[in-house]
Amino acid sequence: MSASVASTPIHHAPAGRRTRRRAWRLLRKTALYIALVAGGVAMMIPFLWMLSTSLKTRAEVFSSAPFSFPTGLHWENYSTMWFALPDVTFGTFFQNSLVIASLATIGQLVTCSMAAYAFAVLDFPGKRILFALILATLIIPFQVVLVPNFVLYRSIPWPFSDSGNWIGTNLPLWVWAFFGGAFGTFLLRQFFLAIPIDLADAARVDGANPWQIFRHIYLPLARPALATVAIFQFMWSWNDLLDPLIYLRDLSSYTTTVGLAFFQGEYVGNWPVMMAGALVSLLPMIILFLVAQRYFVRGITISGLKG
Amino acid sequence: MTTLPGVRAARTASPDRPRSHRGPRTGEARWALLFLGPTLIGLALLSAGPILATLGISLTSWDMLTPPQFVGLDNYAQLLGDGRFLTALRNTFFYTAVSVPLGLVLALGLAMAVNQQIRGISWIRTMYFLPLVTSATAVALVWLWIYSPTGILNHALGVFGVSPQRWVADPTLAMPSIIAMSIWQGLPVNVIIFLAGLQAIPSEYYDAVSVDGAGRYGRFRYITVPLLTPSIFFTGVLALIGAFQVFDQIYVMANPGKPGGATITLVYFIYESGFRNFHMGLASAAAWILFLIVAVFTILYFRTQNRWVHYK
Repeated sequence: MSASVASTPIHHAPAGRRTRRRAWRLLRKTALYIALVAGGVAMMIPFLWMLSTSLKTRAEVFSSAPFSFPTGLHWENYSTMWFALPDVTFGTFFQNSLVIASLATIGQLVTCSMAAYAFAVLDFPGKRILFALILATLIIPFQVVLVPNFVLYRSIPWPFSDSGNWIGTNLPLWVWAFFGGAFGTFLLRQFFLAIPIDLADAARVDGANPWQIFRHIYLPLARPALATVAIFQFMWSWNDLLDPLIYLRDLSSYTTTVGLAFFQGEYVGNWPVMMAGALVSLLPMIILFLVAQRYFVRGITISGLKG
Repeated sequence: MTTLPGVRAARTASPDRPRSHRGPRTGEARWALLFLGPTLIGLALLSAGPILATLGISLTSWDMLTPPQFVGLDNYAQLLGDGRFLTALRNTFFYTAVSVPLGLVLALGLAMAVNQQIRGISWIRTMYFLPLVTSATAVALVWLWIYSPTGILNHALGVFGVSPQRWVADPTLAMPSIIAMSIWQGLPVNVIIFLAGLQAIPSEYYDAVSVDGAGRYGRFRYITVPLLTPSIFFTGVLALIGAFQVFDQIYVMANPGKPGGATITLVYFIYESGFRNFHMGLASAAAWILFLIVAVFTILYFRTQNRWVHYK
């Protein structure tokens, strides 16, 4: 019996079959690549079309087939777009967005990390209820509090604005960020909980107070989580439309999104220039994403899986 | 081991650490107040408090110029007879009912497709993830052009002999068109969550059912789906809450007086009545209705959890 097993051709004649199997595997892998890349390209059609339109002339856009390459690269659409509005350039919008998004990000980093530390490390009465309350605000649509917040900001005197209060300034768009936030607090708390409590205990024995423990042990260890919170807050502030639409009054104070929406009204039908505007407004976030993709992915998975 | 018996006794006596005996941690409540100060103020003034304030304002007639007047439930009664509000309500429900399930199913398929251990997969995934960071404003602008009568969609369909459609201007096509765009933009978040869920499934599970003779479908049905239910549940919550709040794409696509309000949503209605027409009472009533809808649906959704979500 053992002799008959040994004499079966399995060990001797596989050369043809092996190459055939290898060829088959290669074919499958190639097909997989082609399918995945084709799907990816399909997903990117809006980006590609935005790019190609932004380099065409208006006449080309309406006459030629949509898939045609531009006859020449009409970069002038970008300068038209940049200087399209009287008195302000798109650069002003960029600067406004940058200031607002940066301040909001700083605010969230400081106050969310503090709150997260209290929830993860400190002991105090009412901790569970308070944390549940903060989580509950995650599901409250912020539009529900739009009117009272508007009323609140309108009641704060401010000598430097035309309205005499915060309306018409960028303050309502970032000051809130210095008063905590559910997403950042939740995400950082998850991260802090994973840091061995022994570290804090040891520091406490050495006489460190909670602030020192927070500042010198927790914050440095939480750098990746802080980066994630920062990136998300920056993106949300950069992309926000409703709040800037409500609070900003002067064209010169507009953010990129409001500027773009305004721009749309002014340039109806001029697709090349509008696509140039859309592309430029997206570019900073696209670059940020390409540089920091893993922080985006991590932020989504941390809050998604361990919840 | 020479542990001090007293220490061990203290450990076992109070499992939730020194809270019971007065030690170096007694001052912690005060420290906690310090750390939580900003958050507590924010909670009171910017989120929890204002929800009650919205309810109060919703019972008044107020244009922000003259003092508010108490009108009881008049605003709610007015809303129920307001055709524009009812359109907004219907659109919001339609948007949610279509975009949430469709978005999840597509995301699941896509996540399984890109869940491959092959060289260069991260580059391929980047292509799929890119819409994640885009603003709905810019995206809506691009899709407005895609959907335009001379846009790429009509060109592409023209190849198959389909006559050009007015995707955004036609009241019956407008909402589905906006939904298709929103699904495209919302896919990456769901795909990322599903992908993490898929990668957390131990391969032994698949091996086990394969031994039992399960095929591709069997593995999907009896391993992938049940073990992915926590991820599906979570993305469902996110998508549900997000869908009820849709605004940006509506603002951009409905704005230049397109089909007479055919695509307005609840949040658009709140924005319009509050910040364009300055009917703060009416806007607050609509906002409170939005809050109730989201709260009810979220609670109902959480209730179903026990029936279909399997936590390991």
